[in-house]
Amino acid sequence: MTQDPNARAEVEPTAVGANAAEAGERRLGDDVSDAYGSHEVNVGDLDFHIVAEHGHTASELDPDAPAVLTVDNLKMYFPVKSSGVVRRTIGHVQAVDGISFEVPKGGSLGLVGESGCGKSTTGRLITRLYKPTGGSMMFDGKDLAKLSNREMKPLRRDVQMIFQDPYTSLNPRHTVGTIVGAPLEVHNVVPKDKVLPRVQELLEIVGLNPEHYNRYPNEFSGGQRQRIGIARALTLNPKVLVADEPVSALDVSIQAQVINLLQDIQSEFDVAFLFIAHDLAIVRHFCPEIAVMYLGKIVEIGDRETIYSHPHHPYTQALLSAVPDVKQAAVGGRRERIRLEGDVPSPINPPSGCRFRTRCQFAQEICAKVEPPLLQIGKRHKVACHFAGELGAHPATPVTTELLGVDDQGSPVPGATPSNTQLTIPGYEKTWYDLRTKQTTGV
Amino acid sequence: MSAETAGPETLGSLSDEPQQDPNSQQAKEISGKSPLRIALGRLARDKIAVVCAVVVLFFVICAMFAGTISDLFGVSLETPLASERVDGLNNGLPKPEMGPPVGPFTWEHPMGVAPRTGEDNLAYWLHGCRVSLLIAFTATLIASVVGVVIGLLAGFLGGAVDKVLSFFIDMFLTIPFLLAALTLAPILNERFNTSPDYPTIQKFSLVMVLAMFGWMGTARLIRGEVLALREREFVQAARVMGMPTSRILFKELLPNLAAPIIISVSLMLPAFVALEAGLAYLGIGVTDGVSWGQTILKAATPTYFREYPQYLWQPLLGIVALVLSLNLLGDAVRDALDPKTRR
Repeated sequence: MTQDPNARAEVEPTAVGANAAEAGERRLGDDVSDAYGSHEVNVGDLDFHIVAEHGHTASELDPDAPAVLTVDNLKMYFPVKSSGVVRRTIGHVQAVDGISFEVPKGGSLGLVGESGCGKSTTGRLITRLYKPTGGSMMFDGKDLAKLSNREMKPLRRDVQMIFQDPYTSLNPRHTVGTIVGAPLEVHNVVPKDKVLPRVQELLEIVGLNPEHYNRYPNEFSGGQRQRIGIARALTLNPKVLVADEPVSALDVSIQAQVINLLQDIQSEFDVAFLFIAHDLAIVRHFCPEIAVMYLGKIVEIGDRETIYSHPHHPYTQALLSAVPDVKQAAVGGRRERIRLEGDVPSPINPPSGCRFRTRCQFAQEICAKVEPPLLQIGKRHKVACHFAGELGAHPATPVTTELLGVDDQGSPVPGATPSNTQLTIPGYEKTWYDLRTKQTTGV
Repeated sequence: MSAETAGPETLGSLSDEPQQDPNSQQAKEISGKSPLRIALGRLARDKIAVVCAVVVLFFVICAMFAGTISDLFGVSLETPLASERVDGLNNGLPKPEMGPPVGPFTWEHPMGVAPRTGEDNLAYWLHGCRVSLLIAFTATLIASVVGVVIGLLAGFLGGAVDKVLSFFIDMFLTIPFLLAALTLAPILNERFNTSPDYPTIQKFSLVMVLAMFGWMGTARLIRGEVLALREREFVQAARVMGMPTSRILFKELLPNLAAPIIISVSLMLPAFVALEAGLAYLGIGVTDGVSWGQTILKAATPTYFREYPQYLWQPLLGIVALVLSLNLLGDAVRDALDPKTRR
């Protein structure tokens, strides 16, 4: 649905409409027309509309927040079995191949990328629907990747998930009360007679009538069902919520409501979100920090401003150029659309070196030989590309040669030692590699 | 055309409907309708289903209160002195005072008496109904429980468990039912015919044979259904919240399997009723006791069919009416439960 360019174009005006409707009046001033642009509230001009508006502006980044979930070098390989009587493993689908990131406490990290790049697999690894092949996921001092299912059970209270499709994520034979109260019964946290008040409280939080606890999911609309799913995820007061495309199955007019609800929940309960989506506009609104994935790897990660205004990876640039721009359409201007040639390569046998090189217009010899490291090039910006640069300003020679000890064609230079002092840690370091000066700097 | 249909009358009638405030007291008292209750409502509107349900209910009452109803009519199962009731010179047919076919209808024996033995037909019919339903219901219960559990485990656990269980399903499907039943009958007969509980043992072994060869269909149906269901997100949601597997199986999946279970039960019940009578006719079902099949066996001779056809028609009609109404009821239940055939 969200892949329909027309549908995506509608998100912005609708989001404004929903916000304005809550403020009581629809204003079409300059500051309102861009739901994502106007974060600043003029203190002198503090009237009801602006305060109400402020409730659902784009989420802000807290740079000093400690990480609640640290994922390091996470890998998930699914075995491919041969057909026949003896089913040998003949290969692996490298769905997620060594990704590292941090989810800050009470913050949200957006995970974007095209279909099949491993976004959902990452979400399912964190909730341990799959057991990872390698890597670690540190949460609360414990490595979720190593725990057995039994040891995992108490931690499941803290890591919950919101599912994509509200029509299949609720058991059609259970009442809303049973669905939302199930986590309480499974974990035995409250006595039986306290379950119903808690369920009603949760239904109220997500904006449903608490008296509807004895209704069945088939009596609710898609948006209401997604609210039930959110209530279920909130039942155990989780610290991390994995939202796997929580709005992509919803009507565009409902998407804004659900996103606003998630923002309210985040600010009220201090929940950290791993927000998986392919709708860039929604990710931009919801996530102050965004990671772009391609074929099982993170190709670029950074804060919202950097990713949307100064993307350095050719894939991120292509992805952003696919978003239709309402403002430009209105004035009749046309942007250059970067078209990616060919298909996504098979994750069973990914390309050598840089995985994006088969579709990248800047690809050279080095890209096939050496895999680009996820290099920190800004205060909160990492990119994995030999030719990292802003759109139209990609360098002619690889920027990573000195760090990796190779020449421009990617062959190792005899005697040269890799001078890459950066460790690929999940978070950000104080110093970074400046692309212009090719020196490690830090401010 | 659309302008005419959306005239002021239509709009008026629409706005005449009372506006219901979702927070009003009235709205609060509306409780949710489960999918099963919606199906039941649909079933109640199906005329054929209602008629069939009444017929099935009639047979169930006949079976449950066979003794009481017999007493009410003053008939019993006990073997009388044959010469009092049948005419040995007239092929053993009943005497005229015993009712049709020779004499007029009498309330003493509403369905007449059996030729040669002079046993009362009504009492035998009622108790035969009881045996039929008892065996069919027990066998269905056992077969569906076994089938559901095996189907659930095979479908949900997958892997080696699925392979082993599927192998057993296929293996049982290859064994020809009739051959197995024919083989088992003399063995059981030899082993137990001196036992005082021989009729009970016979019924028990019949139930076992029927159940043993009846569970595979259900198991396959449930397995396929579970394979589809376990990929649904609510099962994954249950896993994410740390629900134990047994609870996922029986609390999350089982309620969703109500439709296939009811369908397989509705297919098994009439099949077992017919099979029980068929086996009794072949002499390998209930041979030492009362049964519709046994009565048919006795009645199916050219002489009796020519002179006393009611004797054959009575048990035959019972079986046909019961099996037909069970089948049609099953059909209606299936339609009511399947959201795709909503009318």
